[in-house]
This record gives sequence, structure tokens and C-alpha cells, in this order.
Amino acid sequence: MAGDAIVAEDLTYRYDELVAVDHISFKVAEGEILGFLGPNGAGKSTTVKVLTGQLQPREGQAIVLGIDIARDPEKVQAQIGVCFEITNLYEKMSAEENLKLFARLFGVPRFDAGALLARVGLAGRERDRVEEYSKGMKQRLMVARALVNRPRILFLDEPTDGLDPASAENIRKVILEERQRGATVFLTTHDMMEADKLSDRVGFINQGKIVALDTPHNLKQQYGKRALRAQVTSPDGGLESREITMDKPETAGAVQELFGREKVVTIHSEEASLEDIFINITGRGLTE
Amino acid sequence: MSLRRVGILLSKEFRHGSKSFIFIIAIVMPLVLSFVLSMVFGTLFSEKPKLGVSDEGDSQITQMVIQSDSIIGREYDSADALRNAVEDGAVDMGIVLPADFDNLVIQGEMAEITAYVWGESLAKNRVVLGATVANMIRDVAGQEVPVEIATTTLGDAESIPWNNRLLPLIVLMAIVFGGIMVPATSLVDEKQKRTLSALAITPASLGEIFLSKGLVGVIVSTVMGVLILVLNQAFGAQTPLLIGMLVLGAVMASTFGIMLGVFAKDVTSLFATNKAIGILYYAPAFVYMFPDIPQWIGRIFPTYYVVQPVVEISQQGGTWSDVALEAFILIGLILIMIGIVGILARRTAQREALA
Repeated sequence: MAGDAIVAEDLTYRYDELVAVDHISFKVAEGEILGFLGPNGAGKSTTVKVLTGQLQPREGQAIVLGIDIARDPEKVQAQIGVCFEITNLYEKMSAEENLKLFARLFGVPRFDAGALLARVGLAGRERDRVEEYSKGMKQRLMVARALVNRPRILFLDEPTDGLDPASAENIRKVILEERQRGATVFLTTHDMMEADKLSDRVGFINQGKIVALDTPHNLKQQYGKRALRAQVTSPDGGLESREITMDKPETAGAVQELFGREKVVTIHSEEASLEDIFINITGRGLTE
Repeated sequence: MSLRRVGILLSKEFRHGSKSFIFIIAIVMPLVLSFVLSMVFGTLFSEKPKLGVSDEGDSQITQMVIQSDSIIGREYDSADALRNAVEDGAVDMGIVLPADFDNLVIQGEMAEITAYVWGESLAKNRVVLGATVANMIRDVAGQEVPVEIATTTLGDAESIPWNNRLLPLIVLMAIVFGGIMVPATSLVDEKQKRTLSALAITPASLGEIFLSKGLVGVIVSTVMGVLILVLNQAFGAQTPLLIGMLVLGAVMASTFGIMLGVFAKDVTSLFATNKAIGILYYAPAFVYMFPDIPQWIGRIFPTYYVVQPVVEISQQGGTWSDVALEAFILIGLILIMIGIVGILARRTAQREALA
């Protein structure tokens, strides 16, 4: 991979007494998708706001695309796209007008709103007023708006939250296309499956601190527990569960013993989810 | 600061903001009010100056007065009838022409005219009528001639007619309401719907966003001010100066509108604030409306410096030297408010991000 798209060093943000982001440091490489996970109030959105120049860090610094965001936010903002958590579209305008307005502000030449709307599955509804859109359509338009300037970094704050499965899949496809194009993606989400599927690396943030940051595979290796779960016939004819922890020297023997001694009805492997790992690390759930 | 981006935002404001309720009210209200008051008090501001003539002979001037397009001329049978008409305010000025007036002026001899002036007539009208009469005499005589005018002022010279007392109120409504409320509601609406955060993430700065909204207020406010004056034929000879003062007034109103918009949390609190302090916008107009109130009180209110120059120029024939002090005070107030908006802009950006 090329250089770093984002470098956060000792980044801190306080709301009065509350430390929302607490001396966090991390890097995101160009072209990487970083999933940023944490429960509500953990500091995800505040981190995005600092990295996009909406908030000034109280301590530390964020270098985005080689520029100190606190010193020259406009220069950074010209090269990034942001999809907000809360819908903030011009509802009285059409989708096309919304995109064209932002494209003009970004100074995008020969902007094709129709093509971008088609990418997010809004073809044929370009000229409808946004107020007539469903929540999912608005969310897809928000993603499209974040793409008008072909951003080098895409900040997506819960982009699939509340979407139907088809719409969410469409957004995920767009995210992967953007990465394919070379864009860096900073993705905050509650959806662990989504983060697992899309992210090159995931960072867990809890109470303003990054508690883990690695590839999903490594995190599972480091913190997760893989197991084989079997259902066997009990002496009275019912079903009983058996669990064999994997990745241990005695695992092979235990499997042999299971099949030798018991009548196995079903057996499958179980891998730790990112949520399990988060609970393992922090002692609290992601949806708390 | 990019003028291109300000232009883009300005066009967005006009294309989409012009459908808002406040935008429509800002345009319709002053026109309706002007129309209603015109119906009640006759033509507001100033109609053409009215000149009465009592001709003791057969002067050409009488016909010239009657046929003039620039003034309203009326002929009276006797000097007494003319005097009564002036005293009642039916005409602004009346002149009594002696029997041999035309012969005297043609021969270049000294002629004497008796003139009655209505005490409540506008200074502007007196100037116009005086100049018109002088031109007519010169036309009849074919030369400059010495004419002695014995002037008598009739009626209450201190009093101001009601239609003129209402002038500042109409002008302020035209300038202030649109100037303040159009940018304020637009800004609050963007805050409430969080579109301001979306704009702030683009290369457009908050200063550019505020400027575009302020410009909409300035344009609406100035156009309405000009329209009201045009509809009421209140443009004097100092048109550029009058428009300049209207623009300054509009800038002050819009800057204040941006300040209100920054402070107000939502449209409800904006309207509540506006309702609470709205009386202060129009206070100078109310002071002017009631001459018994010490007129210096009007100067306490910033909008005095918006309306006073407009009244001075349109009604009293005032020039730059007459309104320079008010204009400089107005510019000073605008600069102070722009400074405050600049400080608030930075805080707004942070507050919006925190919302």
C-alpha cells in the first residue's frame, strides 16, 4: 500500500468535562477500509468530526492526506467525502439538484448526477423531491452526495443503519467499488458482520480510547475462541450439546473421542464474532 | 473567500429560499401595507406638489400652472379663497397674481406677488413650487426679472401630516422585515435540518455561507425599499444617494438577521425573539409618528440611522451633507455587527458539529 491517508496522534476531544476522544493514535493507509467500531457514545462520531475538520482537537493532531486538519480544514475538505449519521439533505430539492449543488461547490467539472444516482440504485427517481423519498433512499442519496467529488477519503458514519438488506448490500457494493478506485474508507458502524466483511482492519473504540486495532482475522486469532459444537443423542433418546475448543493440542483427540463414544447428530464449527471479541476486551456489548 | 461559491449559494437561496413563507411575506407585507395606507390617507409619501393661483388679471402663468405636468395646479376665484385653501392644506402653496403682472415682467419692471405657504407642506414641495414659479415667470418675461414675493405661512408650521408621519414606518417595514427575517430564517432552517453541517464540509466556508444568506436579505430589502418609494413617487432628485442609503440600511438589517439566525436555536425561538424585540426595530418610526415625544429618543435606536436619511432625502430634499453623519454612524454599526458575526461564525461551526 502507498502512504498514510490518515495519521492521528494523541488525538483528544473533550465536551466540557467529558473526554469523548481520549489520546487516540492510529494510522489508515491509502486505499484501506478501516472499520471503526464501538457502542453509542464511545467516541466514533466525534473522531470522525475531528478528522473531517468539523471539530478542532483539544490535544494532539490529525494529519489527513498530509495536511494538518486543524490548520487547513478547507484544503482537506475539498478532497474528502462525508456521509453523516443523521440525514441532512435539502428535502425540498430533487436528488439531482442536491448532488449538483454539492458538485458545483466542490468545483467538479462535467458532473453526471444521473450516473452517480444509478450507482446507488436511485435511477429513475432523480427528479423527485427528496421529501418524497423513503429513509433507505435518503441514506443512499447521502452516500451518493459523499461521492460527488470522487473523494480520496470517504468517511461513512453508519451508512447502512436502518436500511433494508438490499439497500445495505448496494451501499456495501459502492464502498468496495470506491476502495477499488483507490479511495480510503473510514467506516463507523454498529454492524459487526458488515465491518467484518468490508474492513481491511477494524478498530475498537471504547470510552474514547482505542482498545484494539488489527485485521478481523488477527483479532479473532488473538481474542476469539473457535469451537466445534456438536449435538449428540443422549441415553434417554434426547439431544445433548458438546463443545470442543479448537486450536489446542488436544483438539484432535477430543474429536476422535466424541465420534468414538457418542452418536453425533450434527456438528459444526463456530468462529468468534467481532462482537464477542469486543465484549471479551471491554466487558460491554456494542449495542449498549 | 470565493465569489464563485458565494454565487452558487446565492443562486440556491433564490431558487429554493424564495418559496419560503417568510420570503413571500417580506415582499407582500410592505406592498399591502402601503396600499392600505394609501387608501386610508390618500397617496402616501408625496404626490405632486400642489399650487393654487388667484389671478386678478389674465396672466399666462395661470394657464401654465394649470397645464403643468410636474405640479398640480388649481385656480381660485379670489385671494381669500386661495388663502383658505392654503390654510386647509388643499394646496401646498398659493400665489396671487396682480392684474398687470405679465406686462410688468415683460417690461422688466419690478412685480410683486403675494404667496401663501401651507405650514405643514413638505420642504421638498416648497422648493419645487418655488423653482417652477420662477421658471414660468422667466418664460413669460423672456428674461430674468426682479419679482418681489411677499410670503405668508398659514396653518401649523410645526405639524407633520399623518400620511408623512407614516412614511418611516413603511420604509422600515420594507427594509427591516425582509432584511432581518429572510437571512435569519434561512440560517435557522439550515441549522435545524442540519444541512449547514453538510455545507460546512464542502470547500465553502461558513463566511461564504453567511455572506450568501446576507446578500439575499440585502437584495430583497433594497428592492422592496426602492419599490415602495417608486410606487409612492417618493424618489427625489438624489436618486443614487437614496438608493445608497437604502442599500446601507439593508446591509445593517441583513447583518442583524444573520446574528439572530446564529443565536436562535430553531424557528420557534427565532420568531419569539423577533416578536420580543421587533418593537425596537420600528421605535424610531413610532417616535416620528408622534411629534410630542422628544425626537432625540429616536436616535437611541439603530434603525433611526436607516430611516432618517431616507426620509430626509425623499421628503426634505436632503443632500449628502444632510445625511452624512447618519450614514457614517450606520456604517459604524454595520462594521461592529460584521465583527460580531465573524466571532460567532467560528462558534457556530463548532456548535453545529456538536449538535
